[in-house]
Amino acid sequence: MRTIIFSWEFPPRVVGHLAEYVRDLALQLAKHRVETHVITYHDYLTGEFTENGGIKTHRVTNPVKTHISVLTWVLTLNQEVERAAANIYYGANKQVDLMDVHEWHFIPAAVTLKKALDIPFIYSVESLEDHRSHGADSPFNMAIKSIEWLGMYEAQKIVVKSDWMANEAVRAYKVPMEKIKVVPPKTSTWLKTILETYKSLSGKRAPDA
Amino acid sequence: MPNELKIMMLTWEFPPRIIGGISPHVYYLSKSLTKNHAEVYVVTCDFPGAPEHETVDDVEVYRIDSYKNPSPDFASWVYLMNMNMQKEAAAIVNRLGGVDIFHAHDWLVATAGIGLKHVFRKPLLATIHSTEIGRRNGLHSDYEKMIHETEAWLTYEAWRVICCSNYMISHVKWAFGLPEDKLVMIPNGVDVKEYEKNANVDLSSFRRKFALPEEKIVLFVGRLVYEKGIHVLINAVPKILEKVNAKFVIVGSGYMKESLSEIVKKMGLSHKVLFTGFLDDETLRKLQKCADVSVVPSLFEPFGIVALEAMAAKSPVVVSDSGGLSEIVEHDVTGVKVYPNNSDSLTWGVTRVLLDEKYANWLRENAYKKVKENFSWEKISRQTKNVYSTVLNEYSKTFWA
Repeated sequence: MRTIIFSWEFPPRVVGHLAEYVRDLALQLAKHRVETHVITYHDYLTGEFTENGGIKTHRVTNPVKTHISVLTWVLTLNQEVERAAANIYYGANKQVDLMDVHEWHFIPAAVTLKKALDIPFIYSVESLEDHRSHGADSPFNMAIKSIEWLGMYEAQKIVVKSDWMANEAVRAYKVPMEKIKVVPPKTSTWLKTILETYKSLSGKRAPDA
Repeated sequence: MPNELKIMMLTWEFPPRIIGGISPHVYYLSKSLTKNHAEVYVVTCDFPGAPEHETVDDVEVYRIDSYKNPSPDFASWVYLMNMNMQKEAAAIVNRLGGVDIFHAHDWLVATAGIGLKHVFRKPLLATIHSTEIGRRNGLHSDYEKMIHETEAWLTYEAWRVICCSNYMISHVKWAFGLPEDKLVMIPNGVDVKEYEKNANVDLSSFRRKFALPEEKIVLFVGRLVYEKGIHVLINAVPKILEKVNAKFVIVGSGYMKESLSEIVKKMGLSHKVLFTGFLDDETLRKLQKCADVSVVPSLFEPFGIVALEAMAAKSPVVVSDSGGLSEIVEHDVTGVKVYPNNSDSLTWGVTRVLLDEKYANWLRENAYKKVKENFSWEKISRQTKNVYSTVLNEYSKTFWA
């Protein structure tokens, strides 16, 4: 199995909890003979490509340096994510089984890659804009919510870490509960459940691509 | 037909959505490409009443939901629209069984074009119609810098960059530091047939709606903004009237409209200057045919399509010697060139045309011939097709092929 994990933070670039979590996940996957690629943001301290503990890390940077918000920064970084993912895809004889997209930042890239190259994706939710912004509904927050909505709608599977978050996703984005998989971290069944979820998607063509 | 090329055009405007010059440009270019052994698929923004998918003059047009995402500002709207455009275009490409080339028009579709290039590994071409640094005469904020850098990125990712005048080529080369061999000049075009429709129609009653029979018509068409130099013409009005009886017809609107008509009122010349506002294409073409002289006094002009349209309508033109206008008009042969931002010079040019009918007719005939020879969409689509072929030939030798 070959997977690409998308995350806007990955060690040594640590913004919140997500970086460490994604690294643990990638390490475990690599140990279980999943060819694991991580695409993340380049912070100038790291090379474009590194391979460590079996994880192949591809770092991209934003060609547009000046920005007015995190939203414009994200939306112009996505094409570089697509480029990196396409390079993996074509380099691997078009055999990529799935993408695991952590948080909303790289949802636009995942959706295009799904439509263009038939690769199914999982949207792994760490938090939602509704909670981060404490219910604010300025056009800026709404734009981010609309990207989260797109991810919920287009993903083959949504992975959350708690029953509470599953209910929140249903409440905020009207996702059918059966599309959501609750995978609590740091439990004995954590990796097994993730591998099962991966396997249930792998090799499946994206239905509407 | 052997080897029909499949071209996907990305544009934020396509008729009936018309915001600026890109919309008619992409329409005429696409239409003439289909007559030149190319299949053209246009992906563009939606418009009230226009269908999601339709065939317009053999061009397949797809309109995407462009107001799906709430946006805090125009640039964020553009990037979000591109997100939707890109995902819809990706699905369309697969339904078509692939395309050969992506052709993007301006930064407004930059990110969609760049993403599609990489996921499908097909060449991307860009036409740069205008630049942020040119429009704003410099970069004064992070917002403007961001747009400028997005434009630079598009030209970097594009296999070739097309501009519509030598002036724009050197401007774009300077603005983004591009190598010479990446740039291709293909002029903008005009559809002469649209003007021939009215060739044998008696327009005298139409003309009377705008001017008295004894008045010569001096026509200005353009946005009423500083860079179009409309204030230069208004300043020339009393000087021209000293020598010729004329009516000044000003078509278009813009932020200067109020102050300009105030100035005209103070001059006591309201009965000699008519502000029509925005006119539909048909009325405008008739008016251009009636004009005794068409004036394009722009201070900044990437191309100058209005001059070309006037020439197609067989109206003599007086233009300022600036930007793309300098290249379209040959002084004393296809029109009159005057000093930019100089109302005395403009007065001289206009009166010269209005007082010498033989000279005016000589300009008309030469200009019309030049437009037919050099600015026909047929020729432009052939030149564009050549760029496609060159790029595909280069592409066939890369590991992407």
